[in-house]
Amino acid sequence: MTEQLTTHAAGTRSLRRALMSFGRTLLLVTPGVIMLVAWQFASGRLVREAYISKPTNIARRLYDLFATGEIWPSLKVTGEELVLSYAIGVVAGLLLGYALGRSPRLARVIEPYVMAFYGIPKIALAPLFIIWFGIGIWSKVVLAGTMVFFLVFYNVYAGVRSVDREVVNLALVLGANERQLGRHIYLPAAAPYLLMGMRMAIPYAVIGVIVGEFTSSVAGLGLFINYASSTYDPASVFAGIFILLAFVMIMNALASRLEKRLLRWRPPSQNVSQEAS
Amino acid sequence: MNVVSDPDPQNALSFNAIRQNFPGLAGEAPLSVLNDISFNVPRRKFVSVIGPSGCGKSTLIQIAAGLLKPTLGKVLHNGSIVTGVNRTIGFVPQQAQLLPWKTLMENVEFPLLLRGIKPAERRARAQEAIDKVDLSGFELHYSHQLSGGMQKRVSIARMLVYKPDTILMDEPFGALDAQTRMVMQHDLQAMLASEGASVLFVTHDITEAVMLSDSVIILSRRPARVLAEVSIDLPRPRDMFEPYTIPGFAEAYDRVWSIFRSELNVKRAA
Repeated sequence: MTEQLTTHAAGTRSLRRALMSFGRTLLLVTPGVIMLVAWQFASGRLVREAYISKPTNIARRLYDLFATGEIWPSLKVTGEELVLSYAIGVVAGLLLGYALGRSPRLARVIEPYVMAFYGIPKIALAPLFIIWFGIGIWSKVVLAGTMVFFLVFYNVYAGVRSVDREVVNLALVLGANERQLGRHIYLPAAAPYLLMGMRMAIPYAVIGVIVGEFTSSVAGLGLFINYASSTYDPASVFAGIFILLAFVMIMNALASRLEKRLLRWRPPSQNVSQEAS
Repeated sequence: MNVVSDPDPQNALSFNAIRQNFPGLAGEAPLSVLNDISFNVPRRKFVSVIGPSGCGKSTLIQIAAGLLKPTLGKVLHNGSIVTGVNRTIGFVPQQAQLLPWKTLMENVEFPLLLRGIKPAERRARAQEAIDKVDLSGFELHYSHQLSGGMQKRVSIARMLVYKPDTILMDEPFGALDAQTRMVMQHDLQAMLASEGASVLFVTHDITEAVMLSDSVIILSRRPARVLAEVSIDLPRPRDMFEPYTIPGFAEAYDRVWSIFRSELNVKRAA
């Protein structure tokens, strides 16, 4: 009898949870759906279709691009550029941010220079990078990598410097040497900052790569979008943009997973992206 | 680490003519904090240091831990001069200072990990220390899941785990509420009875100093000097929850208070 009651209660509870999660999903997708419907309606009625295309056309175009395999070469090039620039930027930013954070003397000399370079609009450097690194993937990797680097660098630098002197003193008395201080105190303390920087850097990696490809390239989604817009093909432009959007969302999801793994010690309210529960 | 060249059989710690100046603000004279401080912490004894706030009590702890080099004078730990960071001494800071990215167990294991002790032994010794501070069952909790009193217990366990012969405690119970504080004092007394360690305990609470100590050092206002050393001969164990029922407590408290009050400029009630 009691057993039945509890299973019944558990059943109701899981049903309620399922309903709530359905409700949340509904709430999440509603604005998007409204936008798409409004777009579909406005196209050809309020705005000329040649300007904004329409969702059904874009969907068909996306399907064709993947079905015929036309998009794959562009996707591969841009994907490579994104992954390389992001990885290089994150690693370089982490290394330099950590080094300067640990050594105030080094920081006093180098930080003003980093600050000055940070102030340069990186996009203005795109033509120069093309000259230096060619029209292949490396000019884009360097451009996007620089943007990623600065964001990660400043966050890691701030994270390492946020470590309380008293915690360091305590660790020293407990027996820590310099290497152990890094491994057990400075790096874990900087981890939330690193992840914040990595998250902020995702859209910048995409911007860097696309701007690079717009400037001059032989392949890639940026070139695809640029070509489509110069031939009055808005459906293709939007198709390209939706693919970029998917890139950003996938990278964000990966960053969230990394965050959950590395920062499971944090109280839930402090997490940058809260779990939807 | 200090090489024990001539272990002093009597004193775990001795402070010899310690002076400490801190650089003043731009254009001002250096700030003199400690002015010729000398006293001993005899082996297996509990010595408290009390003084008005800002008098440099915590500075003494910093010096004994080797985190601060005194301007003049020297500290001997087990007979040898403290020159660098003192890794053989136990240290319980004002704030619990647990590492938030480590679980309770990992925090307690931390000093052993730093010493390169094998995981199995680490775990066993940490468990023993955790049991001693009465926190079994919470090994996998992170510090934000623990109360202030529990965090304090962890910081004590983290110190007990490497079995230091001498312990420095810097107002460890200052931030706790009155009830938790009494429980902690009670437990500390019980733990120390079994450890046989020598303790230097900094506080601004006279009751706490009298109840826990074998001897109380009273410091003056800044620049601090030793006003008096009052020995407390109350029998142990002492009931931390009922200080006023202990014969001799009121007299001991009065002796400390009468010296301490002279530093506070309080008028006697008419």
